[in-house]
Amino acid sequence: MSRLRRDPRMERAAHRIAGTPRPRFDLAAASAATSAATSAAPGRLRRDPRGEERLALVPGTPRRRLDRTQRVALAPAGAVPAAAMAETAPRLVVIAEPAYLVAVVPDAPGGRLTPHDRQVIGAARLLADAGGGAVLALVEMPGEDLAAAGVDRVLGLPVAGYDPEAKAALLHAVLDGLDIRHALLPESADGADLARRLAALTGEALFAGAESLTAKAITRAAQGRRIEQRRAPPRLITLAADASAPHGGAPHEAIPVVFALPTLAPGAILSAEFVPADPASVGLDEADFVVSAGNGVHDFTAFRALVAALNATPGASRMVCDAGLMPRAAQVGASGTVLDARCYFALGIAGAPQHLQGVARCEHVVAVNTDLHAAMIERAGLAIVADAQKVMPALIDALTGAGAAEAQP
Amino acid sequence: MKIAILFSAGRHAASGRPAPVPVELQAIRLARELIGQAAGDAAGDAAGDLSGDAPGVITGFHAGPDAGPLKDALGHGLSRLVQLSIGAQDDPLPSLAAALGAERFDLVLAGRSGQGGEDAGLLPYALARALGLPIVADACALAAGPQPGTLSLEQALPRGARRRLILRLPALITVHPAAPAPLPFAFAAMRRGMLETREGVPAPRAAGEVEERAYRARPKLIAKSAAGASATERLKAATEAASSGGRLLVDPSPEDAAREILAHLRQIGVLRH
Amino acid sequence: MTPIMNPATPAAFCLSLVILSLAGLALALMARRARLWCAGRPVPVEWARGLRALPKRYLVDVHHVVGRDPYAARMHALAAGGLLGGSGLALLALIPALGGARLYWALIALAFAGALAGGVMVGRRRYPARPARLSGGRFQILPLLLTFYAAGGFLVAFDAALGGALPALAWPALALAIAGGLGLVLQIDRGPMRHAFAGAAHLVVHPRPGRFEGERATALAPLDLDAPRLGVATPADFAFNRLVGFDACIQCGRCETACPAFAAGQPLNPKRLIQDLAAALQPNATNATYKGSPYPNARAVAGIGGPDLPLVGAGAMIHPDTLWSCTTCRACVEECPMMIEHVDAIIDLRRHQTLELGALPAKASPPLMELRYADEPGGRALAARTDFAAGLTLPLILATGRADVLLWLGEGAYELRYGRTLRALVTLLQMAGVDFAVLGPEERDCGDLARRLGDEATFQRLAAENIATLARYSFSRILTADPHALHALRNEYRAFGGAYEVIHHTAFLDGLLAGGRLTVGALHEARVTYHDPCYLGRYNGEIDAPRRLLDRLGLARLEMERAGKRSMCCGGGGGAPVSDIEGERRIPDIRMAQAAATGAGIVAVACPQCSAMLDGVTGERPEVHDIAELVLMAVEAGSAKAARKDAAGKDVAGKDAARKDAARPPEPVA
Ligand SMILES: Cc1cc2nc3c(=O)[nH]c(=O)nc-3n(C[C@H](O)[C@H](O)[C@H](O)COP(=O)(O)OP(=O)(O)OC[C@H]3O[C@@H](n4cnc5c(N)ncnc54)[C@H](O)[C@@H]3O)c2cc1C
Ligand code: SF4
Ligand code: SF4
Repeated sequence: MSRLRRDPRMERAAHRIAGTPRPRFDLAAASAATSAATSAAPGRLRRDPRGEERLALVPGTPRRRLDRTQRVALAPAGAVPAAAMAETAPRLVVIAEPAYLVAVVPDAPGGRLTPHDRQVIGAARLLADAGGGAVLALVEMPGEDLAAAGVDRVLGLPVAGYDPEAKAALLHAVLDGLDIRHALLPESADGADLARRLAALTGEALFAGAESLTAKAITRAAQGRRIEQRRAPPRLITLAADASAPHGGAPHEAIPVVFALPTLAPGAILSAEFVPADPASVGLDEADFVVSAGNGVHDFTAFRALVAALNATPGASRMVCDAGLMPRAAQVGASGTVLDARCYFALGIAGAPQHLQGVARCEHVVAVNTDLHAAMIERAGLAIVADAQKVMPALIDALTGAGAAEAQP
Repeated sequence: MKIAILFSAGRHAASGRPAPVPVELQAIRLARELIGQAAGDAAGDAAGDLSGDAPGVITGFHAGPDAGPLKDALGHGLSRLVQLSIGAQDDPLPSLAAALGAERFDLVLAGRSGQGGEDAGLLPYALARALGLPIVADACALAAGPQPGTLSLEQALPRGARRRLILRLPALITVHPAAPAPLPFAFAAMRRGMLETREGVPAPRAAGEVEERAYRARPKLIAKSAAGASATERLKAATEAASSGGRLLVDPSPEDAAREILAHLRQIGVLRH
Repeated sequence: MTPIMNPATPAAFCLSLVILSLAGLALALMARRARLWCAGRPVPVEWARGLRALPKRYLVDVHHVVGRDPYAARMHALAAGGLLGGSGLALLALIPALGGARLYWALIALAFAGALAGGVMVGRRRYPARPARLSGGRFQILPLLLTFYAAGGFLVAFDAALGGALPALAWPALALAIAGGLGLVLQIDRGPMRHAFAGAAHLVVHPRPGRFEGERATALAPLDLDAPRLGVATPADFAFNRLVGFDACIQCGRCETACPAFAAGQPLNPKRLIQDLAAALQPNATNATYKGSPYPNARAVAGIGGPDLPLVGAGAMIHPDTLWSCTTCRACVEECPMMIEHVDAIIDLRRHQTLELGALPAKASPPLMELRYADEPGGRALAARTDFAAGLTLPLILATGRADVLLWLGEGAYELRYGRTLRALVTLLQMAGVDFAVLGPEERDCGDLARRLGDEATFQRLAAENIATLARYSFSRILTADPHALHALRNEYRAFGGAYEVIHHTAFLDGLLAGGRLTVGALHEARVTYHDPCYLGRYNGEIDAPRRLLDRLGLARLEMERAGKRSMCCGGGGGAPVSDIEGERRIPDIRMAQAAATGAGIVAVACPQCSAMLDGVTGERPEVHDIAELVLMAVEAGSAKAARKDAAGKDVAGKDAARKDAARPPEPVA
């Protein structure tokens, strides 16, 4: 791949949004593809012998050792399944000889990217495409969705169990060994932790919880959200959730690279056990999706069945708790729990001010109420004026029916 | 067990006035319960009673020009607060590293991120490194570990998930807001508590390359689009978000209502089947 | 027995001697009990003033309260008057000149006859069925002892009056009198008769003497924050005159029937509380002798105590939930014939729980924390307090440094519901051309919540800072729609150097209407009942202005059974909504049922707490409106009518214009 020819028609086609009757083009995709093209456009990529040498440096050894075989780091390692991909994907964006690397360290629990991870990769794409760089994902378990998310290179980090310190040490080695201009992590529970470990290890400044990012400037909040700090993107960055758009263009290669990682002594964590969140028992203040019953719910067997079928956390208005129909801990509101849930589904709740205080932070509210003028109906993004007793069984039917239908094929 | 807790110069979110950071006050409770448990009492009993001294040594450290309202931590169950006197612009790390290094603590607790300053939450990590301690983030419960010299802790993960860890001490642990609420403030306990002032290590911070200005909230970019959504879907989500007047269905059939609700729940991503 | 003194009869002479020895025994028992009071904290008391005022305090003030129950008043006058009169006269009969006079013994017989009637009335009240509010146990035998003693005394005296005509009756009667009398005297130590002497002592050393001099005297006393121990932990921490007060309780249960927390099934019974406090003064005390109604849904306690043992806690006399159930409505104080100050005691106990132990109900602690760092219990920005007035012009006093009326907005300003009320008030002020201004972002919480929850430190800080702010401006009066703020500013800031004329919006609007600065049309046919806020009615005695105001609006005003100074609390005071102690019912539901029982369609309120609490009641019920909202409706109705009159004969467009004109607020007078 010495020179890349531009094919304007192909490029245009790559940006086209599928499924719309009139031809429409997506700018994010456009920027990705054109920058890939422009980075290749000047023709030959210059060799950087010092950079290559730096890459070949074996980390973790007292004496300076070079491993020339690692030169493949910047080139595809092994056979490129590009042909196979090209068949399925619209078109594969290939950055053959990147000018630099932008590393991302997604959380990717179980090897699957989270929405936040995709946003971080989107941001990394932005930084990479600004100067002909490539996005390198550093993951514990390489998953299949990396290419579509916009990753060019993939490097596996072999970490056994939960050992963030070891993971940080490996990242440190990669940061030292490869030409990494930026390293981006999600400002999520694990990502934020890892980034700070890395910052402490490298002694570099961390730009934590960036809320906006362009190739030129990056901002974050400080001093209790009173001050906004702004600067050119530094090397270590964590990105707040929903601060950047995920990559929306054509998939990238996501080809594995080889890098000799140091082996590490075991850390201080002797054992780790993951306990997944159980919506049925999680505290209301931590719940993601709360389904709540008010005075308008009479059939609590159906209500509980519905909550279970929706895999949600049960809540209630004070009237219901006062009546002993639900435990006091389930009370939502000023004198109960103030929710932090993404979605609140209120059945037969009038929406008294004290109750609404408890759902002020919920992004989505769904309400079922017989009274068109109930305050809850007004608050809801989806409001259904109907009898909760009738809607609940219909929901359960639809859910179990859908489950059965899905199980069949 | 000797426990140290770090206190940062927080500010109240609405008033902007100096105030202790809530998770650091929660740390006091975790520490008291841990010590109470080690002393064989029922955890709650020993922790809740602020009339006497803590059943063990819990020392708070703050590096800054003035303890200010941080002495209120003494009213939340802390028995001793050490203020390491440094300038307002100084880096607290050397002071804290020196003070904590001088005494051997089994456990150092800190908030996840300060409030009101840089808010980057880097300090506990830098300090752990300086002290050579392992660090674990986001504890919401602590208990004595299975073997002496170990600690078992629960790490809070998003949406109520947990990770149970067993850790070799000494260690530095940051506390998560999901930990139990701070012990209520007792004015007289604050009066009784010991506040000690020591000279800190002056460490002027290098001027950063950051430019600062008043904060301005930004609209969340893509809150609506689901995982791995295509551009079309994102566009749809964006236009819908813009016109989010709310949908109202009056007297639909129960089946229609159910369909509509489930479609909505799937669209916002809380229902995944 | 040598009849040197020539008494009427030997039995009568013996009766005098018996009474003399019983009096001696009584004095000894009283002295023993009074010694226990000395365990309390010494406080300065104006003894001379108290002693001088005792007869008036007893005959006027106490009987004013007792007289609310006419049966009880007659019963008490007969029993107490007869008993004291008969015994006193019989004692004086030891003076030969009197003891020899048959007429004198007739007088004694009359007194004992009165006592007997009183005793019978006491019995009639308790038998065959004892009302729940009255205590059993020692109290149940009281009528027996009373009748025995009175009947015995009467017969002996009657015999003496007849010159010894009934000797066969006299000696058994004397025995009866001895039995009854001894029983009564023994009840001084730990029974109903204790109230007589402790009650008298309490009237002398009463901690709020102003109550007998026409003052409302309801402000809480400031706490010295440098004291070695804050608040009350043990009986000995109480001021001695408080201990006297607890001993004065006659267990009449009037407080119990008035208590909203008791009615709601929360674990508070003011009578039982006072009894527990009194019992705990005894070394090795237990609460076992109490035979009245319990704390509803009582939480288990050990029920043991002593002068230097803690009062509150599962291992002591009083469960903390009992303390935190109180709304500080003062209904118990208002009803108590013995002038006991329940609320002061509860606050003293809470102060220790909060300031020393940090032992608050879980939900009560966060608002106090917000108050410490944001001066606002919701942790909201002070500048957001004026958000309710979006679209109205709300002059800030900062701009001019002065205003005739300073409008204190209070906590309600943050609530959507009460924001409507404040908008109505502000609109009315503008219509009437009142020169007013608000503190805006300089207004801190008044500290009422902190103080009632026992956080005196925060209250005192807020008071000092508010006083400093107010000192910077010149105004003649403070106007507020919040009776809690009114009480704090008017009565409680005084102790910290802030003396202001504070007026409630109901009185102020009444003045505007009376002065013709606002004209109202009648709100025809609306039936309205007025709910007195505790902090306005009971705490400040303002019960007429709101009613006058409602009458000016042409409303059909109906009274609830409990109204005025004897009104029932909405449940919103004293931090009770944040403490949120579990009961069986909600206090506002009970109050709303009382309002609905009048047949009114509207409950008029005059307090943000009442508004929130009563509006939280679900189901079919009267509407809740603050008086300011009703006044605005009436003013608008009036101007609409005026507009119609003006526009008579003119076209529709003119009518509209006239209405608009009338609705526009006049220029404020400079
Ligand atoms: C200080 C204070 C604190 C409070 N704190 C809280 C709190 O923390 N949490 C809280 O919830 N409340 C709180 N409240 C109580 C609050 O004011 C309301 O009373 C309460 O929220 C009402 O509950 P609800 O909506 O279930 O009942 P209701 O007001 O009775 O409303 C029932 C609703 O169900 C609808 N409905 C009836 N039948 C049907 C049907 N078949 N299908 C569908 N809909 C139907 C009705 O139209 C109505 O809108 C507080 C009140 C006060 C005063
Ligand atoms: S406290 Fe007062 S009102 Fe209550 S029972 Fe005792 S005497 Fe009666
Ligand atoms: S003040 Fe009110 S709530 Fe408190 S005890 Fe007295 S009557 Fe009951």
